[in-house]
Amino acid sequence: MADSIISLKEISKTYKAGPNTVRAVNKVSLEIDRGQMVSIVGHSGSGKTTLLSLIGGLTKPTSGTVKLNDTDIWTLPDKEQSLLRNRLIGFTFQFASLIPTLNVFDNIRLPSTFDGTALVSPERVQELMDKVGLGDRGHSYPSELSGGEQRRVALARTMINEPQLILADEPTGDLDEDTEAEILAIFRQINEGGVTILIVTHSKAVASQASQTLKMHKGHLTENLENS
Amino acid sequence: MKRIGLLNLAAQNLKRKPFRSIVTVAIVAIAAGTLFSATLLISSVQQSLKVGMKRLGADILVIPEGAEESSESALITGVPTSFYMDESVLDEVRSVPGVDQASPQLFIESLISAACCTGHVQLVGYDPDTDFAVSPWLEENTQGPLGDSDVVVGSLILANKGETVKFYGQDFNVVGVMDATGMGADESVFMQLDTAYRMAEESQQDALSALDVQRGQISSVLVRVNPEVTIDQVAQRISTNVPGTVAVTANEISRSVTDRLSGFLRGFIVLDVIVWVMSLLTIAAIFSMIVNERQREIGLLRAMGSNRNYIFKLMLTEAVLLTAAGGLAGILIGGATLFIFKAVITASLGVPYLWPPLWYFAVLVLGTLLLSVLTGALASLYPAFSSSRLEPYAAIRQGE
Repeated sequence: MADSIISLKEISKTYKAGPNTVRAVNKVSLEIDRGQMVSIVGHSGSGKTTLLSLIGGLTKPTSGTVKLNDTDIWTLPDKEQSLLRNRLIGFTFQFASLIPTLNVFDNIRLPSTFDGTALVSPERVQELMDKVGLGDRGHSYPSELSGGEQRRVALARTMINEPQLILADEPTGDLDEDTEAEILAIFRQINEGGVTILIVTHSKAVASQASQTLKMHKGHLTENLENS
Repeated sequence: MKRIGLLNLAAQNLKRKPFRSIVTVAIVAIAAGTLFSATLLISSVQQSLKVGMKRLGADILVIPEGAEESSESALITGVPTSFYMDESVLDEVRSVPGVDQASPQLFIESLISAACCTGHVQLVGYDPDTDFAVSPWLEENTQGPLGDSDVVVGSLILANKGETVKFYGQDFNVVGVMDATGMGADESVFMQLDTAYRMAEESQQDALSALDVQRGQISSVLVRVNPEVTIDQVAQRISTNVPGTVAVTANEISRSVTDRLSGFLRGFIVLDVIVWVMSLLTIAAIFSMIVNERQREIGLLRAMGSNRNYIFKLMLTEAVLLTAAGGLAGILIGGATLFIFKAVITASLGVPYLWPPLWYFAVLVLGTLLLSVLTGALASLYPAFSSSRLEPYAAIRQGE
């Protein structure tokens, strides 16, 4: 039997938008096995990002359960849920998600400092900078980096706590083809190391890299395709 | 490798908007500086009154009628003055029920910028046989009673122990320099009553301008009251029983100084309260703005695994850093202003001044800093709390 890292049961998320109630995610159930690279595609407003946020514990489902490694994350108090996010999950976003006042080196190691116990070695930070091709940019600030470089720093930061799961929201959006290819190569490399990756994307090129593609439409999971 | 602590991250965040940070610091600095300097001024005046009145050693000062204002000026701020009454007053005062001790003093103004004199100061002649104001100090700090040509000087007189000073053409040996009181005593020169009379007599030949003081004249009578009666009662009796004199109590002198200061301070306190409230509101508004501006970043920190408490503490730390810097700047600027303009302030208010002891100074600095920091913490409490309660996903989306 396959080992699930993500298990969603009848998960829904509704919002109030003025007088209307928007059902962003509607009774989605899903199991994702450890070590998979899965893409989520769909039109804008189909609920992809909301689904990703529900999985990552960034927003609370209106109903249903979200289990990561068999732990129902919404039964945990904030401190434990935050620790779980810190240790188990790595997030990357479409926007430049670096802290502008910290240099590359400090941005990468920032997540390792939150719980007050783990302190990664400089060698580990350097190893990640080398891995994303920015080995000599440790002292640079985000404003001195290109969009692609910032994205790579964010990826290195995602890896600092050796997460089991990476949740990526449009990680290559607004990047040129070459940079997109570089980022995808890094994702593949990470996935080959056994890390489960879930990517929300509009890009067919990105989706084709995944072993599995989920399609969303109006809050429903409409297709679940195994890629060849 | 250094940890990226909350303090470090908060300090980095404040550097992002230097102008806004400087304005916040300035607002707190004004509030803290006003409070610090006003409190320091009050404390210094009170300290001076405490030390000065202890040095005076008397419960009541008996002076000629009409000399109230100039005697107070001489006593408080050291403006040289001279007024006289007959020494028979001394016996009349002694005979008043409730008077325990009474001792005469003679006030002489030295000449202004005369070649014969050291400077324009108050010369005070005291009676060594009955004195209880200068003699205790002499017993503790000099070899014994003053000789015929000896004087002790106040802390602001420009003469050191062992040097010679000249008044009305005569040289006097400085045998001691008294500790500072912040009051008129600091600008006075003390000599025996007999020495003062002799100086007056010899001034006819030696001085540019002769002194018109006769033996048998005195300026004031210092009175100590029997502990069984109240000072006010005895003062009242002296005023009634000794015609041509006024009995001023030490408390009245202190009260007159405090009253003079309170009018000025009332305005100061109102201003300070307004400034504190303004700074509280401004910091609250600024931190609400900061939380709004940084919603995405807050969401991001939460996504990376920081918990609510971390976000709350981060915001609070930023506020505390800003207000601590403001408090410190206010203390430095307020303290420096008071130090530089001390003479102008005390002269215009007509109050004595003596820096409080170091421990009090430290308490005042810490108290002002604490109040500044508490203001920052209080003002940022709600923004910090609301930022910690933001749902990470909503924060990220709203910040886009």
